[in-house]
Amino acid sequence: MAAETTSAHRERPALDPGAAARLSGWLRSYRPMPGIPDELFGADRRPRDNWLALLGGVAEFAEEEFNTRFAMATRHIRDTGVSYRVYGEEHERLWPLNSLPLVLSETEWSEIAAGVEQRARLMEALLQDIYGEASLLDEGALPAAALTGSPDFLRSMRGVKPRGGRYLQIYAADLGRGPDGRWWVLDDRAQGPSGAGYALENRLVLSRAFPMLYNSMNVQRLAPFFDQLRQGLAAAADRADPRICLLTPGPFSETYFEQAHLARYLGFLLVEGADLVVSDAKAYVRTIAGLKRADVILRRVDADFIDPLELNSRSRLGTPGLLEAVRSGGVSVLNMPGSGVLESKALLGFLPKLCRRLLDEELRMPNTATWWCGQTAERELVERHLDTVAIAPAFQGLGPDGVSTRPRLMSDLTDEQRGAFMRHWADRPGDYVGQEVVRLSTTPTLRDGQLAPAPFVLRVYAAATPDGIKIMPGGFCRTSEREDVRAISMGADVRTTDVWVIGDRPVERVTLLGGQDQVKVRRITGHLPSRAADNLFWLGRYLERAEATLRLVRSLCTSLMDSEAALHASGETLSKLQEILIDWGALDEEDPGDSASQATNRALLHRDTFGSVISLVRAARRTASSLRERLSADFWTLLTSLESRLENSSDALQSEAEALQCVEASLQTLAALAGLSQENMNRGAGWRFLDMGRRIERGINTCGFVRRLAGGTATIDDLDLLLDLVDTQITYRSRYLEGLALTPVRDIVMLDTLNTRSVGFQVLALKSHLESLPNLVEDGMPEAPLRIITPLAAEIATEEAEDLTEAKVFELEGELMNVSSAIEDRYFLQGANAVPTVKLAGLA
Amino acid sequence: MIYRVRHRTTYKYERTSTYARCVFRLQPENSDRQTVSQHAVTTSPRASSAIQRSGPFGEATLTVVIEEPHKTMVVEANSIVEVHSRAIDPGRPSDAWETIRTQSLSVESIEPTSPAAFLYPSVRVPIADPITDYGRESFAPGRPIVDAASELMRRLHDDFTFDPEATKVSTPAADAFGARRGVCQDFAHIMISALRGLGLPAAYVSGYLRTRPVDGRRDLTGSDASHAWVNVWCGREWGWVGFDPTNAVYAQDDHIVLAIGRDYSDVAPIDGILMSPGDQAIKVEVDVIPSPELASQRPSYARAAPISAAS
Repeated sequence: MAAETTSAHRERPALDPGAAARLSGWLRSYRPMPGIPDELFGADRRPRDNWLALLGGVAEFAEEEFNTRFAMATRHIRDTGVSYRVYGEEHERLWPLNSLPLVLSETEWSEIAAGVEQRARLMEALLQDIYGEASLLDEGALPAAALTGSPDFLRSMRGVKPRGGRYLQIYAADLGRGPDGRWWVLDDRAQGPSGAGYALENRLVLSRAFPMLYNSMNVQRLAPFFDQLRQGLAAAADRADPRICLLTPGPFSETYFEQAHLARYLGFLLVEGADLVVSDAKAYVRTIAGLKRADVILRRVDADFIDPLELNSRSRLGTPGLLEAVRSGGVSVLNMPGSGVLESKALLGFLPKLCRRLLDEELRMPNTATWWCGQTAERELVERHLDTVAIAPAFQGLGPDGVSTRPRLMSDLTDEQRGAFMRHWADRPGDYVGQEVVRLSTTPTLRDGQLAPAPFVLRVYAAATPDGIKIMPGGFCRTSEREDVRAISMGADVRTTDVWVIGDRPVERVTLLGGQDQVKVRRITGHLPSRAADNLFWLGRYLERAEATLRLVRSLCTSLMDSEAALHASGETLSKLQEILIDWGALDEEDPGDSASQATNRALLHRDTFGSVISLVRAARRTASSLRERLSADFWTLLTSLESRLENSSDALQSEAEALQCVEASLQTLAALAGLSQENMNRGAGWRFLDMGRRIERGINTCGFVRRLAGGTATIDDLDLLLDLVDTQITYRSRYLEGLALTPVRDIVMLDTLNTRSVGFQVLALKSHLESLPNLVEDGMPEAPLRIITPLAAEIATEEAEDLTEAKVFELEGELMNVSSAIEDRYFLQGANAVPTVKLAGLA
Repeated sequence: MIYRVRHRTTYKYERTSTYARCVFRLQPENSDRQTVSQHAVTTSPRASSAIQRSGPFGEATLTVVIEEPHKTMVVEANSIVEVHSRAIDPGRPSDAWETIRTQSLSVESIEPTSPAAFLYPSVRVPIADPITDYGRESFAPGRPIVDAASELMRRLHDDFTFDPEATKVSTPAADAFGARRGVCQDFAHIMISALRGLGLPAAYVSGYLRTRPVDGRRDLTGSDASHAWVNVWCGREWGWVGFDPTNAVYAQDDHIVLAIGRDYSDVAPIDGILMSPGDQAIKVEVDVIPSPELASQRPSYARAAPISAAS
């Protein structure tokens, strides 16, 4: 976060008349719900100071300007940030953002922070006991069955000491303000709490939209917390300069972009289960330079899925043997597998007693009154009040009656559901808790220029560090749109809100220069993981393929528009073009389109053919979305804008002229992307793989064009088209005033290494990339890809254009494909030699 | 009774596997009901690493990694086990089943032998209304637990057909229940589901069964592969009692315990992942030879079971 200062003392200049009118209008019409605490109006029914300051600041903007500022900042972040969703999907953002933050005073915050800090310590102590001595159970303070019902109680982790000594690296509590105005804990999050990345993003939006307001309010910064989180993780490693990974379930996870964003922000390696391998009870990341130690793994994958060998054998998200590595201290996985047991509602009722027992302190912040019905007295109590308490599953996962995982009121159930519930309740009361019905307090939101109260839940994060537990000064706040404020109906129509903790004094300048002496200068940012190399390579290939397809379509278009060429429209050259497009899967062989103009449209926009431009661009975007933490915001924006241009053009291109316009614009975007990768990516291995993908694809494509258009029977039209397709018209014309002839065309397209579009140039570039990449074994021997490319380069250098028969070109094309396979085998996870892991099947 | 057990499993892969990481649970349990005097596991190809330890439910596990490329993997376990006679007298009084239900929710122990560990649905044993209702017919209010569980076991044996062709290792319990047929794994899963549905603690036992008739005892079903049955917690007095619904007998000295867990997935004798494209086939040979024959007869792998024909 950029260094910023705030004014030394808060001045509140008188509002101009318009602003004053807006402010008083909001306050007059604001109607908190009766009997429910509200953030704007305190218990004394007067607006709180911080809120007045905020609303006063907001009122300074005319409604339209406020909305525009907010919308622009939101859109910018959305285009580049963590919330990007696949185009055309129903939800653009998981949780849309409210324009007003939740504002809390430092005094209030210190109470919240102290409560969450204590609870984080309590949770840590609880895990230490459950997975250690289990003295709480022996003493009868906690019944065994209140733990064993949780799928996250991992029996195999009992007696395992986490390396670094801690179970919880990051813990979060969902809070609500109860009717008495106090803060209550509604739920505990200990598995791998999500949302911190969204909190960062929300802050970014609001501070960009209203920088003056933000700076004038002494809002506590979030950045220091993330630094502490990083230090906490580093402390769990057993060597200096550890490699820290963020383990993600992958791009199909609904919070994947948040994870990618966090990984990039924190400087961690984003890995999936298949990127890791366990050997000699240590965890390693597969990189292009071989296996590299993974010291600490911050997991966002549920524990059950992290090791298909020991836990859920159906998991495709984990790494076989990872628990073995955890057990022997070869890796730190945080939060420790098994921590999720803390999320069981069955535990809530025991916490006040456990807090006294474990910490010798009174629980500072109460949680929702909860009765685990595995106990006879509690069951009877709940039974007596079945109409007024909420019933919830005692443990994670689907409710035992298959009805609901959330708290429900009996009165909200259908007769059938109630019948099912009563049966299960009688047989298996331990599957349920009864909970006091919580009514959430409200916070102001601006909707259509009106100030309206919305019920909210506040998630507060705690990180363990060598200096104790640190609390993020802010949080991830969700509001419900519904008037019904019972906590139990939260879930649908949820929006999110930034959380501002307002200091009494100016916020200290955030400086990133601290500890300068400890920072070692380095130019390479670690080894490139094999998966990232794979994705970059294919991103390069898709982009190049899309470009080549666009050139084919452009030639199709122009030949249609050119009156002279139209004479050839039914001619050989044009049908060759169509053939290529069919071969490339851009046109459906069965149904290439009745007219050339229809074919143009289809090759460009048809979603059902894998080789159409739109399909290729989508593939590129999908590939790039797995690389979010490695691509610049500009790159991403260009790529998504290209996709949306094509999506928006679908079925809309009436004429060749329109099609041509779309093609030209798309080619320009691709050129900008190519330029960005040449000029804005540093020359690490990542760039090399992106570029190699492009070079391989271009080389192979060009060989194909030459075989079809520069064979022994090539016409002038064919050669002309070839030069168009490989973008070498101008070079050729300036070099050969004599006009088109077969041999010089072959030379310039295949062999001329000064022509950046020639096959020869691609081969030389590939060779230089491969020479720069790391070797697995330092024995001085070239690796397989280099063994293929080196003779190929020599051949290109010595070949003469006269001898370039179709067979020869075909051979070169084959060699390039071999280079591609060799690269995949050597560097990627998914190469031809890589084989899927499968389960042993059958009853042994 | 002393048994010699040979358990040989052969995996054949369509294509070469370059890597396998497996967990073996092939060492019979050492407990007050049986003593293991000898035990050894060999693999072919040989393992590049092997770690022995105790699994979550106290079972002995051996985790091996095989890095030698192979198309066939053979795992052979040899054990000599003495099963101490433990006659079960179903006439002895036991607590009402409702009492067991309440007791098991309040037990203090979290150790693997605690009934609390076996109360809840598990990966392979979900709780399903039809199965619970089937079980309920044997559980009239106030009926002693041993009595009720025995009847449930007999009903399962009578109502269900042992049929190795009907199910596979991955068949869900509910499907086998619907078809009224399956192998010992299915019988056990269904009985466990019914009991847990009623709030009673029930565990899955993997093990072996005497292969050949001795002393005029009848031959038992499912003896040419590993076997499975059910442990039911019958209160503090009785403790865990083994019920074999496949044969409608109590697990006494014909049954040798390998491992106990919540369901098959906790105790599969061999579990693992390998890197190999293509199909695999498995052959299991189990020989359980009681002591009278131990000295005189050389063990043979008489019966080879095809892939789905486990008991």
